[in-house]
Amino acid sequence: MTTDFLTLQNIRKQYGATTALHDVNFNLKQGEFLALVGMSGGGKSTTLRLIADLEQPTSGTIDYAEAQPVVRVMFQNDRLLPWLKVLENVSFKSRDPQVQVQAATMLDLVGLTDFASVYPSQLSGGQKQRVALARALMAKPQLLLLDEPLGALDALTRRKMQDLILDICHKQHLTTILVTHDVDEAARMADRIIVMKDGTNLYEEPGLGGKTPEKLGIVAEQVLQDIMGPQPDVKGVG
Amino acid sequence: MESTTELMHGHQLPKPKMHFRMQRLLPWLIPAAIVIGWQLSSQVGWISSATLPSPVAVLQDGVSLWQSGELQKNLSVSLYRATTGLLIGGSLGFILGFVNGLSKVCRGLFDTSIQMLRNIPHLSLIPLVIIALGIGETAKISLVAIGVLFPVYINTFHGIRSVDPELIEMGHSYGLSRWQLFTKIILPGALPTILMGFRYALGVMWTTLIVAETISASSGIGYLATNAEEFMDMKTVIFCIIVYAVLGKVSDLLAKMLEDLCLEWRQAESRS
Repeated sequence: MTTDFLTLQNIRKQYGATTALHDVNFNLKQGEFLALVGMSGGGKSTTLRLIADLEQPTSGTIDYAEAQPVVRVMFQNDRLLPWLKVLENVSFKSRDPQVQVQAATMLDLVGLTDFASVYPSQLSGGQKQRVALARALMAKPQLLLLDEPLGALDALTRRKMQDLILDICHKQHLTTILVTHDVDEAARMADRIIVMKDGTNLYEEPGLGGKTPEKLGIVAEQVLQDIMGPQPDVKGVG
Repeated sequence: MESTTELMHGHQLPKPKMHFRMQRLLPWLIPAAIVIGWQLSSQVGWISSATLPSPVAVLQDGVSLWQSGELQKNLSVSLYRATTGLLIGGSLGFILGFVNGLSKVCRGLFDTSIQMLRNIPHLSLIPLVIIALGIGETAKISLVAIGVLFPVYINTFHGIRSVDPELIEMGHSYGLSRWQLFTKIILPGALPTILMGFRYALGVMWTTLIVAETISASSGIGYLATNAEEFMDMKTVIFCIIVYAVLGKVSDLLAKMLEDLCLEWRQAESRS
């Protein structure tokens, strides 16, 4: 594809004496859907938080091709404001009619127009995450960061959300980074998969990017092997 | 509403309806029994009217106080003191709670001092206030203001400090300005706790005012009661106590209504 949209170089992140990331290097192309996978504590969420500018790296550089790109994060928990109705959550209760129209369009995009004037507490988990997605898309982000947003959903809802996100990302040519511990999810959705382990990007695998579902098993198995490492010889140990 | 009762009649025995009525009547059962018992024992002569006049006599006394205009006069004086004190102390507590909740520097500067002052029972300041400010309006209003300040302060402070940091992080990363962060996330997030403090403060407001008016005043409901006490006028004393009960209940109802109005989303939460 085209030029690199984002470059991470020699990223190190320390919390006191513990090192969360020790050397992360990767790049991301315009319009690419990247997945960061790995076990808990591997550093994938920390990497995302650094890219989102929620935290600063101890050392290393995060470079964007553009000066001030609009970056939006969809968090693991929906982080909707319980005191605002669904539409108000998307528009942040803006009085600007243009913003309101845009919010209604976004709500339509995620299929929640009928729920515009209910409170988040009256929605299901999947519906809440769809509102959060609509809110993230409001500012027409150049980079969408998904921090395990589907982790708490049941399998069926999860699958529906995956399709919805993929569809929107492809249609709007969104550059996206998905953090997940679900290997199938990463293999299915991403164009490229980075396996994070012990605070660094250890392996890279091509993903399916929503296409050729029959290969899902092969890709997922490969990623899984990267994460788990070489299988110990059980007989030898015993 | 009609259709629901019809439905109930159609499908079920009238038992649930009875149950519903009972539930609404239940809270009033004990007060009603006490009043009736009281009236009966007065009539039979078990209690002398000098110690405890009958409810009817108390009511009659209230009516005559109203007719002479004395009740209205003293009531409005008390209401004026209460609301002025509440307004002054409440806004001070609110502002202090807010700046201390939001600013680290202010918190460092003010919080310890306020926490120290808070532990002084404000009614123990009465002698001090009387000596400093005399027995005029200022003294009584100041006492109410001091009493109200602390509950409002603590709850505002606590409310702001306990707003979900994840929501603030989200707002920040979604490009909200400081002002928007404040009006759209911090304030509404703190509001339930703030209103709880306000409701509690209303109770403190009445207690303080009653004590202040009882000790030194020439008007107000508290004065009415103290004055009646000197003439051994039990009817008026008891009537004043009832007026306090009604005032307390009414202000609590108003606060509850304010809560319901501001916190509509919480009702949606409890319904789901």
